[in-house]
Amino acid sequence: MIRFVPIADPPRGRVIWVTLAALVFALVVAGLIFLAAGTNPFEAYSAMLQGTVSDWSGWSEVLRRGTPLLLIGIGLTLAFRAQFFNIGAEGQLLLGAIAAGGIALFTPLPPLVMLPAMFVGGALAGGLWALIAAFLKTRLRVNEILTTLMLNYVATYLLIYLINGPWKGKNVRGFIYSDDFPDFAQLPTLPGTQVGWPTLLLGVLLAVGLQWFLGRSTGGYELRVAGENPEAARYAGISVSSVLFKMAMVTGGAAGLAGVGEVAGIHHKLLEPSQISSGYGFTAVIVAWLARGNPLLCLITAPLMGIILAGGDVLKINLNLPFRITDVFSGVILMSLIASEIFVKNRVKWGK
Amino acid sequence: MSKITKLLALALALTAAATTQAGAQDAKLKACFIYVGPTGDIGWSYAHDQGRKAAEKALPWLETQYVESVPEGQALPVIDRLAKNGCQVIFTTSFGYMDDTLAAAKKYPNIIFAHNAGFKRNANMATYMADFYQVYYLNGLAAGALSKSGKVGFVGTYPIPELKRHLSAFALGVKAANPKASVNVKWINSWFDPAKTREASEALLSEGADVLTSAEDSATGVQTAGAKNIPTFSHYNPMLKFSPSNVVSGHIVHWDKIYIDFLTKVHNGTYTTKNLANVDYWWLLSKGAVEMGADMNMPFTVKFAAQLKAAKMMVGGKSVSVYDRITALNAQMKKGESFDPFTGPVKDRNGVLRVPAGKTMSIGDLNNMSWVAPGVVGQVADEPKK
Repeated sequence: MIRFVPIADPPRGRVIWVTLAALVFALVVAGLIFLAAGTNPFEAYSAMLQGTVSDWSGWSEVLRRGTPLLLIGIGLTLAFRAQFFNIGAEGQLLLGAIAAGGIALFTPLPPLVMLPAMFVGGALAGGLWALIAAFLKTRLRVNEILTTLMLNYVATYLLIYLINGPWKGKNVRGFIYSDDFPDFAQLPTLPGTQVGWPTLLLGVLLAVGLQWFLGRSTGGYELRVAGENPEAARYAGISVSSVLFKMAMVTGGAAGLAGVGEVAGIHHKLLEPSQISSGYGFTAVIVAWLARGNPLLCLITAPLMGIILAGGDVLKINLNLPFRITDVFSGVILMSLIASEIFVKNRVKWGK
Repeated sequence: MSKITKLLALALALTAAATTQAGAQDAKLKACFIYVGPTGDIGWSYAHDQGRKAAEKALPWLETQYVESVPEGQALPVIDRLAKNGCQVIFTTSFGYMDDTLAAAKKYPNIIFAHNAGFKRNANMATYMADFYQVYYLNGLAAGALSKSGKVGFVGTYPIPELKRHLSAFALGVKAANPKASVNVKWINSWFDPAKTREASEALLSEGADVLTSAEDSATGVQTAGAKNIPTFSHYNPMLKFSPSNVVSGHIVHWDKIYIDFLTKVHNGTYTTKNLANVDYWWLLSKGAVEMGADMNMPFTVKFAAQLKAAKMMVGGKSVSVYDRITALNAQMKKGESFDPFTGPVKDRNGVLRVPAGKTMSIGDLNNMSWVAPGVVGQVADEPKK
């Protein structure tokens, strides 16, 4: 018989080796799937690495995928610390994109303030979108997993309505997208890539800033207490709802920034929601989970998922593996990580 | 130590020389294809992939590579990788890749690009299309003749010129065979989405449609029609096997005709990276790039051929069987003779004259078409008021 004996306070070393073991386990399982698909797993993994981390053009793809994951992931670590299970980053990202698009297309702002205004607008829109769920949770006790998830669909259809109706481009011939943003509303990119460097820089600054906030500031302390033990927080005179509201603005705002980066840096227009968000809102859950609630660690985990996504493209292009392989791959990793949680919190005992 | 280094260097140099020589000997032309859907969609992308395979078989000096399910907003990074893999010709096979293809053409001036279904070109970027509007007219005649309720269902993807031209040609055919009939249209705003196609098909059927055609890339429309036992049409590819007793005819494409022609001209130096700005393939029945049929070389299934022989329509004051009319027009258009579905006078559904008497539409008009023909019922985006 196998028994699980709970560990009161799992040491950091245990967290690390269990996480690494879970990753290795996932790689083995995914390798078996490659084998079943008729591809040598070693060939597959080496192709993935060669196409991503061996040269600059590979890295540029990792960064293109990693940048939105980083921003969203950072915001999510904060939300998860506050025990606020935000799975609505897709929708918050879209709201950021919508706000950026609205500002770029319809406001007469001078070129110099255009991009900053788009970022501010996008962060506010994403934050307010998350705030709806936080408000419903604190005032009406509605489960935030449901509301954030459902708000994704509302955001999706809001965007479709806009680009199919009032914001539809002039020369799109029946397709649904907006006009192109003016040049000065397009983000500068690293040369020869689609990586908007201002977005990337924002991500790095936010990761450092929020790590400091969580570990060193009163606000961060309040957030952690409110998350881990709301009763104690109340007893200590912390307003849990006000903490949650601030947190929602940050987690949603970070996703909103990612949305601004996608439309201003890559597409230069508003287009179908699934093509803007590309599932980043969900993939970033893995980024935040791997980072174990540490914004700074997202600087490692986001590029890691970036390698997996960009590597999936390589598998698709160079080895002609079916296009679903990337989804299967990241799915296996997430499942394995979540399942490994039991080994972090428990010691396994064999026998009676 | 230095001896070993020298030896190693020599060995390396030798291998390098050997590989370059080998490379020079079997220098093949490498053509790469980007598909919007999975190759297993049984429709659009599948048909392109069949064309790729046929070209590879026919041209011994050709080497190909493909990438499936590339989202329309993300073609550029894929093209970057293909360029790195040594692709010399890149085919991008969806309208939505247009701007990315043009950007790539400017970024890689030494690669030849060919964009499918679009209208932007460059010195090193051609466009190509095997268009169905003639075939849609023929199938419209059959659909009109077979509908008892007078309602024919059409599942549309995006309300762009391509679809409007197909829908309108189809509606003109339906009206010619059955003046009282209408074509009810529903849009799904996606190229490949079996779930939405099923919903739209079922909605059309519950509105009373008793003949159905779907422009989506999968066989879902044909399957839904089969489940309700009503006549339907193959789309882009033979779909007879999905509903053997319900497929009447259909629109089938032969992309290989275009691919083989284009690649041969690249190989023999006719097409270069400098002279493609005016190269636009617009291939119809006369070039054999498209075909009317339920299956390859099968214009009608036996059961429906009998029904269409029994159905009559008026042509120039005389009563002829719909079967004979379709067969005659198909033969005419295959030979490249004068018949064209959009021969004026053609009014749009709001009564505005769009093609004057005796005139036909130019390729440019067909590619910019925003109006729809009479008989189309249902919302159509971007329809001009005047």
